Amino acid sequence: MVSSRSDKIFNAIIYAVLVIVAIAAVFPLLYVISMSLTPYSEVVKNGGFIVLPRKISFEAYERIFADPALGRSMLVTVIVTVCGTLINMLFTTLAAYPLSRRNLPGRTFFLLYIVFTMLFNGGLIPNYLVVQSLGMLNTLWALIIPGAIATFNVLILKSFFETLPEELFESARIDGAKEFRILWQVAIPLSLPSMMTVGLFYMVGHWNSFFSAVLYITNTDLNPLQVVIRNMLLLTQSSELQAEITVPTAAMQMAAVIAGSLPIIAVYPFIQKHFTKGMLLGAVKG
Amino acid sequence: MVRMKQHVNLQAHSPQPAKPVPRGQVRRISAEIWKMKALYLMLLPCLIWYFIFKYLPMYGVVISFKDYNFTEGIFGSSWADPWYKHFKMFFESPYFTQLLSNTLLISLYKLLFGVFPSIILAIVFFECRVSWLKRWVQTLSYMPHFLSWIVIYGISIAFLSETTGLVNRWITEMGGSAIPFLNGTEWFRSILVSTEIWKDLGWGAIIYLAAISSIDPTLFEAAKVDGASRLRMIWHITLPGIRNVIVLLLILRIGSILDAGFEQVFVFYHPRVYEVGDIIDTWVYRTGLEQMNFSLGATVGLFKSVIGFALVLGANKLAKRWGGSIW
Amino acid sequence: MTRNRFWSLSLAFVLAASLLSACGGKEEGAKGSTSEGGNASGPVKLEVSQISWGTNLPADDFVKKELDAKLGIDLKQTLVGDQADYESKINVLAASNNLPDLFMVTGKPHLQKLAESGSLLDFTPYLDKMPDYTKFAGSDVIKKGLVSDKQYALPKAGQAVSHTYWVRKDWLDNLKLQPPTTVDELLIVAKAFTEQDPDQNGKNDTFGMTGTNFQTFDPIFGAYGITNIYEGAKLFLEDGKVTNTLYHPKMKEALATVKKFVDAGVVDPEVVSNKGTMAKDKAFQGKVGIINLEWAQIVKDDQVAVWKGANPKAEWIQLNPPKGPDGTQNSNSINIGAPGGLWAIPKRLEKEPEKLNKILELINYLATPEGGRLVQFGLQDVHYTLNGEQIAITDKGKQEAGFTWLYQFAGREETEYLKTKFAGQAEYIEFEANLPRIQTLDGYVQSPPGYNAADANRFVEEEMIKFVYGKSSLDQYDQFLSTLESTFNYKNYMDSALEQLNKLGYGK
Repeated sequence: MVSSRSDKIFNAIIYAVLVIVAIAAVFPLLYVISMSLTPYSEVVKNGGFIVLPRKISFEAYERIFADPALGRSMLVTVIVTVCGTLINMLFTTLAAYPLSRRNLPGRTFFLLYIVFTMLFNGGLIPNYLVVQSLGMLNTLWALIIPGAIATFNVLILKSFFETLPEELFESARIDGAKEFRILWQVAIPLSLPSMMTVGLFYMVGHWNSFFSAVLYITNTDLNPLQVVIRNMLLLTQSSELQAEITVPTAAMQMAAVIAGSLPIIAVYPFIQKHFTKGMLLGAVKG
Repeated sequence: MVRMKQHVNLQAHSPQPAKPVPRGQVRRISAEIWKMKALYLMLLPCLIWYFIFKYLPMYGVVISFKDYNFTEGIFGSSWADPWYKHFKMFFESPYFTQLLSNTLLISLYKLLFGVFPSIILAIVFFECRVSWLKRWVQTLSYMPHFLSWIVIYGISIAFLSETTGLVNRWITEMGGSAIPFLNGTEWFRSILVSTEIWKDLGWGAIIYLAAISSIDPTLFEAAKVDGASRLRMIWHITLPGIRNVIVLLLILRIGSILDAGFEQVFVFYHPRVYEVGDIIDTWVYRTGLEQMNFSLGATVGLFKSVIGFALVLGANKLAKRWGGSIW
Repeated sequence: MTRNRFWSLSLAFVLAASLLSACGGKEEGAKGSTSEGGNASGPVKLEVSQISWGTNLPADDFVKKELDAKLGIDLKQTLVGDQADYESKINVLAASNNLPDLFMVTGKPHLQKLAESGSLLDFTPYLDKMPDYTKFAGSDVIKKGLVSDKQYALPKAGQAVSHTYWVRKDWLDNLKLQPPTTVDELLIVAKAFTEQDPDQNGKNDTFGMTGTNFQTFDPIFGAYGITNIYEGAKLFLEDGKVTNTLYHPKMKEALATVKKFVDAGVVDPEVVSNKGTMAKDKAFQGKVGIINLEWAQIVKDDQVAVWKGANPKAEWIQLNPPKGPDGTQNSNSINIGAPGGLWAIPKRLEKEPEKLNKILELINYLATPEGGRLVQFGLQDVHYTLNGEQIAITDKGKQEAGFTWLYQFAGREETEYLKTKFAGQAEYIEFEANLPRIQTLDGYVQSPPGYNAADANRFVEEEMIKFVYGKSSLDQYDQFLSTLESTFNYKNYMDSALEQLNKLGYGK
């Protein structure tokens, strides 16, 4: 196909936008990486700004990885993220699919039932008491089950299911397929990009969460990564403690950011390959 | 056509029947429910979960009308005297109107300027034919989401500080005078909005990109055969194809209009910009810290919830006209 | 295809679930044994909770071992890194009646809330059982733990007395200036630092002074015999009467002086927005020559390494607080009513006398010289050596005893302790500890109902910034006070504060 002049201009604009976005993202990220690799006195010498490190030092990373709790907490986070996301996806799909069926009697009520909880909540203490009465305190279940469903994600997935062409379901039903089968063999495979997106949201949520661990976990062996990393970076205002505590340097702070988020960032490229033009849909229809 | 029919059905099942339902219809509905038992079965675990983890703790909202006491518990604590005591404290703060308007303004700016860039970026990703470029920029643009606001503030200082920031160093070297980006009231809200856009631009695009990827490709092919330009395809196929998602996200954003981003504002603000930057949540934080007043936080939360819920209901009603409403 | 994916997914799920339950199960086992503890035989289990600010207990916790053996206890600490997180945790524990056996309360308002709820045990009848603690802490410290005349908490003894102006000695030398001794000289030096290129790099890129908000000007207020305007620093005794710095006749003069510094352009334009370590970073970067800081942030070895590493020629020295027009000088005020740490025990220990007694014994032991040395310096002859009264820290002590402050439940004699632990910095510690300071009483005062301290503080802070930056004229100062009294209920607060302080014996 011959590309027209307007097509060329269009492409040029697209590349320009992408390059601008890339630069806007790269510059500050480069700064974070450079800071993490530069000894603090070198940063200070340069007036607090480093673009490319001249003197590289891994001291900040060494100090972070020297924490014996790090490896264990990483394992905890991985377990919670994997199990949590699987449970999330199970519950979310099972909720979103029926709610996406516009002819489901009572659908408005169910949707209101879940949307209401996005806005109203009982607060910290009643939630804690529920988790306690279920015997989940000090177990990893407390980090998973109370967050098993995010209403936002249910609504997203539901709206994706809604966009699937109705004829597909009709024909499946005519073939005598049961609802569970339709969900598993028609709806899910056709919604892979959106399933992946929702899964990603859940994964990142689990990876970054720390507050439920602070509340529900007392046993330090079960602390997730973010709690351990947060603890490394605290600043105290107290003069009595100022003397005792080694203040974390900017390099450590940046190194902690990188160490704490690189694993989850690395997941994204595997997910984004599913964001290509609706291949699957085409295949099914064709 | 099929859609239309379902829409009519939906109206019939909405929980507020305008007129008494004839007997035959009741039978028809129960037959329909029975036919869909599998769907209800799927929904059941989710309904139970919501009941246990969302509705059981909901009694906590009464704390807004009580003077909370640890040992008495939420039910046992005595009622506030007068019952609107905590609301009064919030509404009668000399800063109330300022807090409300700051919150609304910051939130609205973020809504207005934050939604479109992500949609445009998603379309640009989708239209990009050079796959390595697309992949790299996608991953890069999504990374800032993982930086905490404290780190982003550190980066902002490095670039924008009035005395030491890189940008101001350039400006002064070229003979200009330093601009108080972070230090003065003029720039404060713009900085909040732009750093938020920067942080979540790529992250926000993911969901739109997923939506675009789900559009039936035969539509594009047919349009191409008809000789439609790419811009026309974006306008007539891509955008309508993701309208559902756009409207859904808008409704939800409108519901949380009184959340202007506590963490961000808390990290960025200081006494000099209180008048443009102090929001409801930062006020609650400062006041709560002084007094350990549990009820106050719950009270303000309830206030925000009621307004948010009303807005969601309204926005959803409006959205029904264009399609893409939640229910 | 689909089937395969289904199986691999389920397999992953089952694996993950079994891992999960393994972790959970282990913990349950551990918990079971905790509840069995406390029987007549074996050590008494004690659970302690506090904020750790990121300090971790080492695997080989010699302090715990020593205390366990000495007192027949099994001490277990649950540490939460951050203050806000810690408060949330204590609140849910209090709500679910799960408070630890001994825990830190983060401040007066929190203590008051817990005490009013009846969650805490009153120590009053048990103080007699802790003779060493009561002697060590003294009545002035102990009364910081009072709520409505009941001893709901045991305060930690010892309060840091630090902060003074630090100045770049090498800059003074470059410009042939003497260290300033009065406020006027301070202004001259700050001006020279701003305008005369003190670092001789040929660029106009330096400022006289920096700091974090009004804290920058502490010694200038002190030179007028008054205290600063921020929270916790306003009420003090003058000629036997309780005075509020905002109402003090010298306040306008002091503000006019601060304004002179600002107008002269010698103050970092970002003082108000500096947060965390930003002000210090600017000082270390060689942008600023005068900063109000404490010794620990500037002459601890790791800090020296930073600024010396960046500029080997840099040299920071301490200044005496500058003298005001009538020769008055004061460094930062100290809030003597503010507790350094409050230890509370839950009401339920009333019925568990064994635990209660062990806790009293523990705190009392930590207040004895022997117990105090253990939690301050570590093990004798391993981490420190004792020569008569003289304590010397060994190299091993420097490496291994960094966490022991987590066991200083009874507090410490601040200055002595620091001088021993940081022998290299002893002269700086001593210097700051001995500077004249005004003692403020705000910590003893509880806000009356109807007064929102957060609103009032914001108003005061904003108006003061306006005065100092010339946005409002100082002629309007009285108008400011009347708005503060009427709109923000400050009159009500002051009346209540005076009454409370009189009751405690201040300003009768």
